[in-house]
This record gives sequence, C-alpha cells and structure tokens, in this order.
Amino acid sequence: MLLKRLQPMMFQARRNYVELMFQVMGRALQAISDVDEPTREEVRALPEGFLFEMQVMPNGPKLIVEHTGDGKLHFHGDTAPRPVDLSIQFKHMAHAFLVLSFQEKTSVAFANDRMLVDGDVSYAVRMTRVLNRLESFILPKLVAQRAVKEYPADIHLPEKLMSSARIYLKVATQFVETVRA
Amino acid sequence: MTNKYYEFFCPVKVIAGKAALEHIPYELTGLAAKRPMIITDKGVRAAGLLDPVIAACEESGLEIVSIYDDVPPDSSTTVVRDIAAVYRKEKCDSIIAVGGGSAIDTGKAVNILVSEGGDDIARYTGAGVLKHPLKPFFVVPTTAGTGSEVTSVAVITDEKKGVKLPFTSSFLLPNAAIIDPRMTLTLPPHITAATGMDALTHAVEAFTCMAKNPLSDAYATAAIKKISQSLLAVMDNPKDQDGRLELAQASTMAGIAFSNSMVGLVHSLGHATGAICHLPHGLCMSLYLPYVLEFNLESIRESLGELLLYLEGPEVYSATPASRRAEASISAIRKLRDALHKRCELPRTLKETGKVLETQLEAIARQALDDGSIMFNPREVTLEDALSVLRRAWA
Ligand SMILES: [Fe+2]
Repeated sequence: MLLKRLQPMMFQARRNYVELMFQVMGRALQAISDVDEPTREEVRALPEGFLFEMQVMPNGPKLIVEHTGDGKLHFHGDTAPRPVDLSIQFKHMAHAFLVLSFQEKTSVAFANDRMLVDGDVSYAVRMTRVLNRLESFILPKLVAQRAVKEYPADIHLPEKLMSSARIYLKVATQFVETVRA
Repeated sequence: MTNKYYEFFCPVKVIAGKAALEHIPYELTGLAAKRPMIITDKGVRAAGLLDPVIAACEESGLEIVSIYDDVPPDSSTTVVRDIAAVYRKEKCDSIIAVGGGSAIDTGKAVNILVSEGGDDIARYTGAGVLKHPLKPFFVVPTTAGTGSEVTSVAVITDEKKGVKLPFTSSFLLPNAAIIDPRMTLTLPPHITAATGMDALTHAVEAFTCMAKNPLSDAYATAAIKKISQSLLAVMDNPKDQDGRLELAQASTMAGIAFSNSMVGLVHSLGHATGAICHLPHGLCMSLYLPYVLEFNLESIRESLGELLLYLEGPEVYSATPASRRAEASISAIRKLRDALHKRCELPRTLKETGKVLETQLEAIARQALDDGSIMFNPREVTLEDALSVLRRAWA
C-alpha cells in the first residue's frame, strides 16, 4: 500500500536526478573539452558541427552537445538546433538512472542492451571514451573506478576547474541516496 | 544482487546434417514461396556447389527462377540494386543465398530492397529502421566460419562514398540456415583453417567479452569443443564428412553465441587489418587471438581458464592447477596455430603474411579504436595498447 503511494514520488525523483545529471555532464563535457588534450584528441575525429545526443526513450530527458571545431564541445541543453548526428538512447528511465548514478558502467550498459545507438558506431565508440574520461574527472576516484572500465593514469586538471561540477554532483548523490532504496 | 541483465535471440531454424539440402523445397512451400532466386558467387558455382541445391529443388518440382552468381568478395550497393532489379523482373518471391559472408550479406540487403521497395539501399542503414518481416530467405553457408547465417547484421560497401554501410535488424535473419556437409567438403585447406579460426575466435570472444551471458556461453563452449576436436582431423582428411559437419555446426553455434554477446579486440584489430592490408578475415583472427587474450588476461582469467576444458579435454583440464588454466588455454590456441601452420602454412605473425608493412601498424591501431567491437572488449584499449598488441603479433 505504502509502496504504491511512494512510487510516483520515486519516479519523479529519478527523473529529476537524470535531468540534473544530464545538465552536470553537459557542462562538464564543455569544460573538459576546453582544457583536456586527450579529450580534444578524441573529439577532433568528429566532423565540425557534429551533434551528439543522449536521450531516455521515448520522450525523456536529453543532453545535446555539439563539436564546434578543434576538439571543443558546446553544451546545448536539451534542444538541438538541427537533427542530431548520433544518438545514444536509454531504453528506459530506470536504465539511465543505473548508469548516471554510476551503479552500472557505460560500457556494461551497452553490453547489457540497456542502450541503443542511432548513428555511426565508430562515433559512438569515441563518445563512449569521452564519457568515460568525463566520469573519471567529475567523480571521486573510488566511484569512478566503478563507473569506467579502467581509471586513466593521466588525470591531472586544475582542481578548481572541476570543483563546480563536483558541487552539482553532491546534489546529485543526495538524489541517489533518496531514490536508491 | 548484481546489475546483470541480458537478452538472447535466435529465431533461425537450423536444418543440419546429411541430405539437409533436400529439405529446402519443403521449407519453401511452408512459407508459400514458389519462385526462389539464388544469390551466390562465381567460386561457389565453379566448385559445383549449386548442383545439389538445384537438383534437390527440381526433384520436388520447384523451379529456381533466377540465379545471380556474380557477387564480389566485397559486396556493393550497386550489386544489391542490380540483383533486386532481376528479382523483380523475374517475379521471384524468395531468396536462397549460397556462399560465404559476402553472398549472405548481399542476400540480406537484396531482401530489404525487394521487401521494402525502392532502389536505394542506403536509406535503410542504421538500427531500428525496418519494422516488418521481409520475404522468405534461406541461407546455405559454404564456409564454416563467418556465422552470418545467424547474425542480424549485413555490411555493404557504398562505392561512390567509399564507406561501409551497416544494416542491423532482426528481420535480416534468415528463416532457415541449411547446413549440409556436402557444401564444405571441397573447401581448400588454407580456407578451412582460416574460417575454422574465425569460428573459434567468435566463440572465445563471446565467452570472454563483456556481453557474455549464460545462453551464449553454452553455445560458445560447445562450438569450441567441436572445433578443437575436428579442425585438425579435417585438415588431415579433407573428405571427412562427419568432421566437416562438426565444423559447420560449430561455426553456426559460434555465430549464435557472438551475435548475442558481441566480440572484442581481436575483431577490432581484424576489421582494421582487413580494410588496410586486405588480409582475409579468418587469417586476421588467427593472427591476433593469442596476443589479445594475453592483453586481456587479468580481466578474463576465470572465464579463459574454464575454456581449457573445451580446448584440451577433461584430462588436461583436471591435471592443470586452476591458477594456470588461463595461460594453458592460450598455449592450446598457440599449439593449434602451429599445427595449422605445419599443415597449410597459415601464417602465425603479421610478418609471415608478407602483406603487412611494419609502418602500417599505427594506422591499423588507430582504425581499430573506432571499431564498434572495441566497446565490448573487457579491457579499455588505448592507442598504445593496440600498438603493443600489434607489435607482439608482428614477429
Ligand atoms: Fe569474425
């Protein structure tokens, strides 16, 4: 009985969390691509003006970033200026939550059929590596090790730069604690 | 409880064994198909492999309306369009693909066009585009390796743009795969060896990569056992019908395994090498398999160790301490490569192929990093990692 009444709240909280994490990730992607050479190196292989989207099916939250040239990413929020080139879609909010609360690695989620790729797979492979790198940046090392296949050895960025992302993350973790049970 | 979740799907009817080809007419009739078209290549036709297929149909009063036998090794959008035109002109109502990976992929792509309409196959690229079942489609594999008869993927080259178009849909799967030992009986030794190693690699990667699951594991181990027991026997006695059937079945089983669990770095490197140096796919698999397993070793120690049972049998498995089994599995695969080298000079290193330059290694590594299969490799792979595997495989 109680569970039935609580469930809509939980669904809402989960949705809020996923929306918030997309915001955090979008901003962090933009920030990292400004300063981190390995990230830029990956992104340079994408065409200029390339639009990347992460979305929860069927009409859930979205994250859209654009490659504006020379490896730099620009965060567009949840609206794309034109049709996207590559879309990674979670089949359900529950799966997005698993990945974005770092309970399931991005690569494992792919392997577990939680997500679909619409677009060129080689670009998806690149974006997955960029996302892995992002997770290693914004997460405390201990959590990051759970979220990515291997923790990169060459992570050194000015601490200040990432601290704002970490603040978002703190808010985010509180959601996890509320919703996880 | 873990987060583990998986999906497994294989709706292909497998028709396997002695006189399997003679079941084609009955199976076609069951799908109300009366005017089949055969899609194949010149090699298959020259080897006389179409004769038993045609004879089997004619004897049942089923006419093969059209035969297209000019599928190139790397099939293209133009070829697909041409075949679709013939299909329509001859009012065919079903497709039988006879051959290896290229003929089968071509059959899948032609089936999209003749079922969905239009001349532009590029319109149907990507995932989730097809929403309806296609025309009746049968596959008769003539190499025991690719497993394409049970995969929901086709790759066709767009010559004008110079890119490979991937098509993915469960509707590409054939209604039936017909596995008849007569079809692989005349495969020359080096192709038997290379395609056998391709099938072995499918099974080993399916069992050790990230998307492994209990059902794909069962198919993978059974395939490895059959290949270990029959590949060398068939190399020594090519007319061994039972051994040929074992290899053909193993290839299909390995195909079912990897189409549900994906492959890893051996395939990423192999696809890149095939594109840059034009080496046959099976050979690339054989070249890289042991070195990639060494690279992945600490992430896959347990699963790789289990494979020793299927590679070497129960005596060796039980005599090997658990902590040494993973290494012993790699040695078993190396031993198999040596044996194949002795029998048909199947190269064991990139240098031995005589077709790869050391200066090409970096390009191969870069391209491998963009290959979809790298996502499912159990270890993250950097450019440096890929290069170091390539250097070990060099000589
Ligand atoms: Fe393969």
